[in-house]
Amino acid sequence: MTRIPVFVIGGYLGAGKTTFINDCLDRGLRNTAIIVNDFGEINIDASVISARHGDTLELSNGCVCCSIGTSLADTLFAVLDRPVPPETIIIEASGVADPGAVAAYTHLQGLVLAGILVLVDAVEATRTARDPLLRTTFERQVKSAHVIALTKTDIAPAEAVDRAGALVASLNGSATVVSAAAFALGELVVDAPSTPAFEPATDSPSPFASHVHRFGAPPSTAELRDFLASLPRGTVRAKGVVETRDDSRVLVQMTGTHVAITPTTLAPTGLVIITAG
Amino acid sequence: MTNTHAEASADVIYTARLIRTANPSRPTGTAIAVRDGRVLCVGTLEECQSWGITNVDRRFEGKVLTAGFVEAHSHVMAGMFHRIPYVGWFRRQMPDGTWVDGVRSTAELTERIREIAASTPDGESVIVAGFDPIYLDTERLSRHHLDEATTTHPVFVFHASGHLATVNTHTLEKYGIGPDHPAPGVGLDDEGYPNGELREPAAMGLAKDEYRALGRIVVDLETLGHYGASMRNAGITTATDLGSTSHMNDDTFRATVDITAADDFPVRMVVATRVAGSPHDMDAVVERIRECRGATHDKLLFPIVKMVLDGSIQGFTAVIETPGYYTGEDHGLFLLPPEQVVDFLRPFHMAGIGIHCHCNGSTTSQVFIDAVETLLRESSWPDHRHTVTHAQLMTPAQMRKAKNLGMSANFFVNHVFYWGDQHRDITVGPDRASGMNGCGTADRIGLQYSFHTDAPVTPPGHLHTMWCAVNRLTASGKVLGENERIPVDRAFHAATIDAAYQLHLDHLVGSLEVGKFADMTVLESDPYEVEPASLRDIEIWGTVIGGIPHPNPSAE
Repeated sequence: MTRIPVFVIGGYLGAGKTTFINDCLDRGLRNTAIIVNDFGEINIDASVISARHGDTLELSNGCVCCSIGTSLADTLFAVLDRPVPPETIIIEASGVADPGAVAAYTHLQGLVLAGILVLVDAVEATRTARDPLLRTTFERQVKSAHVIALTKTDIAPAEAVDRAGALVASLNGSATVVSAAAFALGELVVDAPSTPAFEPATDSPSPFASHVHRFGAPPSTAELRDFLASLPRGTVRAKGVVETRDDSRVLVQMTGTHVAITPTTLAPTGLVIITAG
Repeated sequence: MTNTHAEASADVIYTARLIRTANPSRPTGTAIAVRDGRVLCVGTLEECQSWGITNVDRRFEGKVLTAGFVEAHSHVMAGMFHRIPYVGWFRRQMPDGTWVDGVRSTAELTERIREIAASTPDGESVIVAGFDPIYLDTERLSRHHLDEATTTHPVFVFHASGHLATVNTHTLEKYGIGPDHPAPGVGLDDEGYPNGELREPAAMGLAKDEYRALGRIVVDLETLGHYGASMRNAGITTATDLGSTSHMNDDTFRATVDITAADDFPVRMVVATRVAGSPHDMDAVVERIRECRGATHDKLLFPIVKMVLDGSIQGFTAVIETPGYYTGEDHGLFLLPPEQVVDFLRPFHMAGIGIHCHCNGSTTSQVFIDAVETLLRESSWPDHRHTVTHAQLMTPAQMRKAKNLGMSANFFVNHVFYWGDQHRDITVGPDRASGMNGCGTADRIGLQYSFHTDAPVTPPGHLHTMWCAVNRLTASGKVLGENERIPVDRAFHAATIDAAYQLHLDHLVGSLEVGKFADMTVLESDPYEVEPASLRDIEIWGTVIGGIPHPNPSAE
């Protein structure tokens, strides 16, 4: 059975979650359900909205935006029940949510966790971590991440970025940490090569480098896992459809050290590997 | 717009053994005259008859009428037990008036489910609710107990806490929940096999059909009717649906207007909109509340909104101040960013809409109180009555500040009985537990307050909350916080006029005064005369709403 990969995007208020989602849309995100607390801030051009039903916006690119009502489970069930289910789901966790707890919902039938990306405001991180009201929330968010993105790096002093980097590393030693403005992170989720119309929303160079790995002979699933585990530290993402030796195609979603391998019917793409550039 | 009471009902005088008005200026009487659903006169029969009314109804002659009890924090979900069999520890009355005995062991639960399964076609789900293992000495409920009841139906036991379900092996197999299942909320036995426990919505949702069926029952309009009946049986005349979004949908709103308008709908409803999502959406919510206010009637009111800031104390998800929890791991969780609270609330404050904020922990109480102070510095509204609801761990300093700001508290005083032993021994320890839901402290400070049941979390009914506030007895029979006990008279006012005040409805309900709605609770005994320890045992005949009697079907 195929399962829909789910990305959970976490981070405290102001860390750039909405900017990140806007960047994904700018990069030509398609056939994706975006589940948010509030679509007031998401930058959706009115001309691409094809329908609106209550808490759901349908876009002409095949995406839907849903706001979380009283129950995330019910929101996900409704997404799964759509006549054409999405290929990907992005959940923007609320600014105070524990993304790890949100990710627990990806065990619902038909879903698989693609990874938890937590955004941390590099300017505010050390202050937030010391705030008695916010400290626990902040620590939970950082500890739950597979990939931590230090954002606002375009405006943060270098020493602030360093301090924030040391702070998050001390809380979560296993996550991959990248420094990038939130508006440059969409590449982690959106498959740029398959969207020829893609035009970067900004002129800033990508903070990432990517290459496509093709296996000489179809690997076994175990060999595929070994290969992923052998990727150098600093690998942010690996994704793609791979033909395996037992003649089954699998969708690989690796985020930091989190690996999900699920059966798929999509055409093989090779493995796109993204590293911090 | 629907007009409820288009036809003026005939003038009537009800006589009673005693009437308690909750109006200290004229605290008692023996007759009450009603015209057009409102109080015309309360006093002696002679005084009432001096209005020229000859229609005297003597059905309450041997009973005690009180100002109708006002429940300022409950949820329509409490009506769910009309469709989902109740399997809790305490005996509980169902909406139709029948009583269901408590389930006192896992063996009894198994037997109860076996009976239900026997009349359910194979393959169809058996869903029961209200199970409360905290009081059970027997071994922890697992799939094996439920397998003894049936192996041919999916069984889903929804616990009273709302955070946990236990399912049978048939359900686990239906959804492929096996030993290697990675979901964090799936409970495992010593051999690593799922034991049937599904914790939190993320895991309960694995049993998709059963979990969704439960959710649909909770929100369907039939549940609203049964909610009204449950409240009537408990003697409540004004009830809330605190934290609702149902009226945001036009069709549901109109249906609710019609259901509650009917003369046989037995309770006055207060709907408090849930404040959630984003601060940007709040102007639209204010606008929607104004629309609803303009299209409703006097049995469906929209005076306040509700915000939720944290979780529960017994779930260790309330956010509490140093030194934190007594035992157990702190899972304190803000449900909204503390620094956004003012932005969320400003549009309501500016529009003159009262705010009730769920704060179980002391930290969240402080965040809310500080937010109200900020709002008042920005924009004066002396009569706001913003209310800390649950308010269980409010400190004396927080109470003093809340009082100075013109705020109010709605204590979850039923916790003293239902979870008081656990709070003393497990969650917050003996010192803080004795001061929880501190009505005595609030009185010493002069903070306005009422108390609530949070039905369905605890069964509806103010005789029990009054009993808790007056006696402070836990389930094991120990006194918890003797200095927080309050007199019966004080408790009666908290359950009536003071609750009405928090809802900005004290000009309409909460006491029996000329011109206010003739809403009464009909009791077999006088709460002031019975032994304080027996307050909760007083029989409830039913209620009178706008002059119309609504008997509890089991009490006639």
